[in-house]
Amino acid sequence: MIVCSTCHHTNFVKFCKPKINIYKLLTWFVVVILAALTAIPFLIMVSVSFQSMKEIYSPELVFIPTKFQFINYVNAMRNGNWGRYLFNSTYVTVIVVIVSLFINSMTGYAFARIRFKGRHFLFILLLVGMMIPPQVTMVPLFIIMRKFPLAGGNNILGIGGRGLINTYSGIIIPFIAGSFGVFLCRQFYMTFPKDIDNSALIDGCSRFKAFTKIYLPLSKPVLASLGILKFTGTWNEYTWPLIMTNSDSMKTVQIALTMFRDEAEIIWNQLMAATIISSIIIYILFLSLQKYFVAGILAGSVKE
Amino acid sequence: MKKANSSKFIHKKGFRKDDISAYIMITPFFIFFILFVLVPIASNFYNSFTNYNLGKTRNFIGLQNYIKLFGDKDFIQSIWNTLIYAVFSVIPLMFLGFISAIAVNGRAKIFYITRALFVFPYITSMVAVSMIWLYLYEPTTGIFNKLFLAMELEPLKWLFDEKLALPSLILMNIWKNMGYVMIIYLAGLQGIQQDIYEAGRVDGASDFKMLYKITIPMVSPISFFIFVTTTIESFKTFEQIRIMTGGGPVNSTTTIVHQIYMRAFSEYKMGYASAMSIVLLVIIFVITMINIKFGKGKEQYI
Repeated sequence: MIVCSTCHHTNFVKFCKPKINIYKLLTWFVVVILAALTAIPFLIMVSVSFQSMKEIYSPELVFIPTKFQFINYVNAMRNGNWGRYLFNSTYVTVIVVIVSLFINSMTGYAFARIRFKGRHFLFILLLVGMMIPPQVTMVPLFIIMRKFPLAGGNNILGIGGRGLINTYSGIIIPFIAGSFGVFLCRQFYMTFPKDIDNSALIDGCSRFKAFTKIYLPLSKPVLASLGILKFTGTWNEYTWPLIMTNSDSMKTVQIALTMFRDEAEIIWNQLMAATIISSIIIYILFLSLQKYFVAGILAGSVKE
Repeated sequence: MKKANSSKFIHKKGFRKDDISAYIMITPFFIFFILFVLVPIASNFYNSFTNYNLGKTRNFIGLQNYIKLFGDKDFIQSIWNTLIYAVFSVIPLMFLGFISAIAVNGRAKIFYITRALFVFPYITSMVAVSMIWLYLYEPTTGIFNKLFLAMELEPLKWLFDEKLALPSLILMNIWKNMGYVMIIYLAGLQGIQQDIYEAGRVDGASDFKMLYKITIPMVSPISFFIFVTTTIESFKTFEQIRIMTGGGPVNSTTTIVHQIYMRAFSEYKMGYASAMSIVLLVIIFVITMINIKFGKGKEQYI
């Protein structure tokens, strides 16, 4: 005997009119439409990356290429020194992540746990620094990099050479100088019970040791989120490397991508292949560490 | 008792030593922070009163740069463009972000997958996104015009059309950032206590009524916060302009940051570009202050 789950009658055809929930139906409709609109540009990117130029130039819509042109990926990587561009981006990003995680967490610890003189003033300075968008400081920062003393042929007054232009340091430094990471780590360490330091300090542990031995091992969530934010931000950055570099050997992948654009006739299939290659690392990172990624985006949004 | 003793002990005996170790620990960061954040901001103010152009002269010219800004047609155009870009990005972004958050706010697996999908454009670099949309908008080979032709409609010139270029960029911006707005709203929705909805259901309120009477008021601090952050982000728009349109056609898509970039890095008018940067800083500062003044209470949700 079958009993209807809604009206508890056996003769549910007679008693129970299935209620259509318009609200549910609408939300499903929204999900499907928005998901399709979000996905289609990506699908087109993948499709074009496998098409031949003939298919791209034909007036008909081609969604599934007649023959998958894997060669586009090879050709794209041969169009310019892509090994070098990928290395540059990886090098810059890895250094930024490692250095900023270390100095940000150490500074965050000091602000969260040590009652040193001037900490209020310095912290307000940090907050002000966080509100200044990099687009505002890009002009003076460029001048400082160019006039950096004793670098790139400059004398002690910063005159004569090119300074830090076209160097890795020049690209890396501004990413390390941002104060958001300090703020994030401080907020995280504030939630730790104070007793754990006190007992360590009584045992004769130095502050630095308390930080590296007790706090750092417990920092995985905040460091993962911050690391991902820094990684994505640095890897995806376009403006600063554009300003700082003009030699081919110092280009990052984002700059290299735009080179396809500058050609007289854009080779779309190679461009899309290169776009996929340049983004794939971020997608892998996102899919494998989604939880920290979302936590990072949320934490990053509190900064303003 | 023992606890009180121990913290006293630290306080008395360890304070001076603590000061020094704190300063040592914050020094590496502050070297970078002072040299590459604070000094640039200060020198930006100074440069904005000079005629510096990377050459030997750096003469103090008072307010001349700022006065010139008011008569600079390109710059005024760029402020208008940025404003239009901001307004027409922020409103649809908030609307779409909100309804997508409502739609995927569930525990079913399909919701987790769609959520991840919505975030994909946001984590993709602006360069990559620009490249994809450059192809979509391409007048001869692009998808939009191929679709239009298939439907026997008149093809458009998209980014090459003076009137259509800015709306095209806005559309792309909405596509890219909807996932960000969704994530923030989703966090807000999950912070609302479920018993409020239970109470509403007991009282016989419909889903629409609860959306209108409970959800929207409950997330209003978040709405305000999203409004502020997405507005600020819109004011920083540069990358897609430089890559896709170069500010054209006929300056119809140039933005404030694009103007700063052009003056500083193709004409080397560093002093003049610094004055523009200060104007941008003031605009963003005002928006931030509005947020700090009126945007209390966001902490309790996020």
